[in-house]
Amino acid sequence: MILCNLVSIAQRVGAPRIVPTRGIPYPAGDPSLGPDGERAWRRELLGQALTALSTAVEEPTVFAGASE
Amino acid sequence: MNELGAGTGLRRLVHEVQSLELGQSTAYEGGLLVVSEEDASTFFRDPALAEVRVGCASPGESARIINPLDAVQPCSKGPGGGGVFPGFVGAALPPGRGETHILRGAAVVAAGHLPRAQEAVIDMSGPVAALSPLAATNNIVVEFERAPDAAWEDVESALRRGVLRLAVHLADAALDAAPDAVEELPDPTAGGPDGRARVGVVTNLQTQGKFKDVFVYGRSLSGGLPTAISPNELDDGAVVSGQYGHPALKNPTYLHQTHPVVAAIRESEDMWLAALVLCPEPVEQGAKELVSAHAARLCAALGLDAAIVTKEGGGNADADVALKMDRLDELGITAVGVFAEMAGRDGAGPPLVVPPSRATAMVSAGNYDELVTLPECDRALGGERIALLDLPATDELELPVAAVYGALNPLGWGRVTCSEAA
Amino acid sequence: MRIAHYLNQFFAGVGGEDAADAGPELRQEPVGPGRKLAASLAPEHEVVATIFCGDDHASTHPEFAAALVEQAREAGAELLIAGPAFTSGRYGLACARVVSAAAEAGMPALAAMHPENPGVAEVQGAPIVESGATAREMRPSLERLAAAARRLADGEELTAEDGRIGAVARRNRMADLNAAQRAVALVRDRLRGGSEATEIPLPSFDQVTPAAPLADPAAALIALVTEGGLVPAGNPDRLQSARATKWVRHSLEGRDSVAAGEFESVHGGFSTQWANAEPNRILPLDVAREMEREGAIGKLHTEYFGTTGNGTTVADARRFGLEWAAELRRAHIQAAILTAT
Repeated sequence: MILCNLVSIAQRVGAPRIVPTRGIPYPAGDPSLGPDGERAWRRELLGQALTALSTAVEEPTVFAGASE
Repeated sequence: MNELGAGTGLRRLVHEVQSLELGQSTAYEGGLLVVSEEDASTFFRDPALAEVRVGCASPGESARIINPLDAVQPCSKGPGGGGVFPGFVGAALPPGRGETHILRGAAVVAAGHLPRAQEAVIDMSGPVAALSPLAATNNIVVEFERAPDAAWEDVESALRRGVLRLAVHLADAALDAAPDAVEELPDPTAGGPDGRARVGVVTNLQTQGKFKDVFVYGRSLSGGLPTAISPNELDDGAVVSGQYGHPALKNPTYLHQTHPVVAAIRESEDMWLAALVLCPEPVEQGAKELVSAHAARLCAALGLDAAIVTKEGGGNADADVALKMDRLDELGITAVGVFAEMAGRDGAGPPLVVPPSRATAMVSAGNYDELVTLPECDRALGGERIALLDLPATDELELPVAAVYGALNPLGWGRVTCSEAA
Repeated sequence: MRIAHYLNQFFAGVGGEDAADAGPELRQEPVGPGRKLAASLAPEHEVVATIFCGDDHASTHPEFAAALVEQAREAGAELLIAGPAFTSGRYGLACARVVSAAAEAGMPALAAMHPENPGVAEVQGAPIVESGATAREMRPSLERLAAAARRLADGEELTAEDGRIGAVARRNRMADLNAAQRAVALVRDRLRGGSEATEIPLPSFDQVTPAAPLADPAAALIALVTEGGLVPAGNPDRLQSARATKWVRHSLEGRDSVAAGEFESVHGGFSTQWANAEPNRILPLDVAREMEREGAIGKLHTEYFGTTGNGTTVADARRFGLEWAAELRRAHIQAAILTAT
């Protein structure tokens, strides 16, 4: 599955499982959170990635990202 | 036409040039343009230029121009007419009204070396002639030598000033001649007849600094935003090219003056030429997006039903066309883009570097990479050897069509197109 | 003509996924579906050799193709046919490499696969004809392939009527109208409600068949991969910052994190300050290890793969994906998480 910011491009090229991220320069991060907050956010993001990997899909599907 | 409309149009007084020769004094009569080399050289007197030579190359001759730089159509508004090439020859004010004399069928062409210029060729006869707009004009070719220690920017400036002033001087020779044709060009702001679709042209100008810049009223649009001018201002040289790369993808001043898309809209009876929007071509994604979004809003404010988008340059400039097509499409304005393809020598590669994502109407100006063969010819101006092939300039040459001046012209001059082989 | 026929390990009867690593081989006779092909091409043409290779070996050793073509030539082959590969991506890539190598060596060649096979984009210098999607359509696919091969052997140019697919050469020609006039004509067409006419078709991207979902993530073997340009500090492999033509792989064994100072991003498409301050923002190893320890995932792969996704050609990106998939399958990895920038 793909963790990315430019979701529409991922959809256009047919990536089946997509989870949105906060920004291009930090796909698995969010520098606006403190170090602990960011790590917890990253853990949640990977949790969403696992959800996507465990879900049957027929076509490019965007799953929820990590929460605010 | 309303009150504002009266007097805002341009009357074009067309003097045809059928033949060209060098002679004692500059004169125009009955289709023959005579150019005095001595006369012509005076316009190039500058510390940056050591020597200037004037030659001729006419359609059908066994002649080749190599290293062509800019080409300019002779034009003049006559004494008291307000001046052409604003910012360079005339005062930096919007022209495009009143009367303008043009010498149709003639061009002043500078030829020689400048930094960042890519080697280009123009054949005046033979199978490749039809690929270049300048093979159809009687060309006054100005060759030059740089003065020792002169900065190349100064050489370029001096050359540009000289070519523009010579172009005016040549048109001045026809001021008293009865025109072969009189063409009335109404100003778009005067409004159009009811029912016609309002179609505009969005022309992207290269703005990459020294030797890769294009000027509007003598100034670069680099770092700026799109602007709208009257298409009639093009006739009077409001847009002047200082860009010498990408020979096949080049828009010389000549083709800004005679803008093919502007001309094509004018000649169609079901459309009204409503606007001309000029845009810089930034090299950074964020700026490209801003310029493109703003250009689309400007087109909407100008009440356009459709816009044809043109560019200058290679693959990077595709993005500027693609973004504008998509932004226009989002605003409900029909968008058509003119692109040259870079599909590789066998034509099987992806045609575009950056295609639009939602707009789909595209015109192909041909595949850049395809090879053409130029036959041997009698003489060459602008240089003696083709560095690309390390051969004498008059030899038979096999080159990608990318090297033929104006062959895939992004303003739409050429008939070359690309399609799947049967 | 004397023909060499390329097959993968499965159709050559060597084995299934277990034999995907099998190296290249030649047999001097038609094999498997090649027998039907040979029968259709007789008597004018003869299949004098079957060349085959394991799909994973073919994906991870691109040089196999030129070597096999040379062997085929030595066995007397004058024309090469590859496939049909149906929708099998690694097989399609292998066929593409083989026919491209043949074309490069001056031997006429022809591949057969489904239009959505990613191998279609990898073929250079040789035509491709359409096959069905699966081996259930072997018979009609072979018929089409044989017919096209006959025409190719006769020196004919293959067209859509032969089932030709893939990039077709585009050629310059002179139109009646100039580009400006054609643009005006297109405007007219669109204003009248047309939506199809264009001189340049939009590129179409692959249809990707989604993999089946993980039945149990807690038992799954998962790999982390990235196009964020993550490399060991100093970039020992010299991964390019733009227009990358290669990818890198490095061990994650014994690491709980990709630490600042030990790893960096060389990606030229964005500011790498945040990535370099905290590389786990590019490759989320820290939390992936945590999840492995806690049993949320079964096991993390021992290495990561990376490249720079900045102006990469579609062809290279596609190739990297196929190669990564082949490598990961060999290591029995069931899922990959790709971070994209």
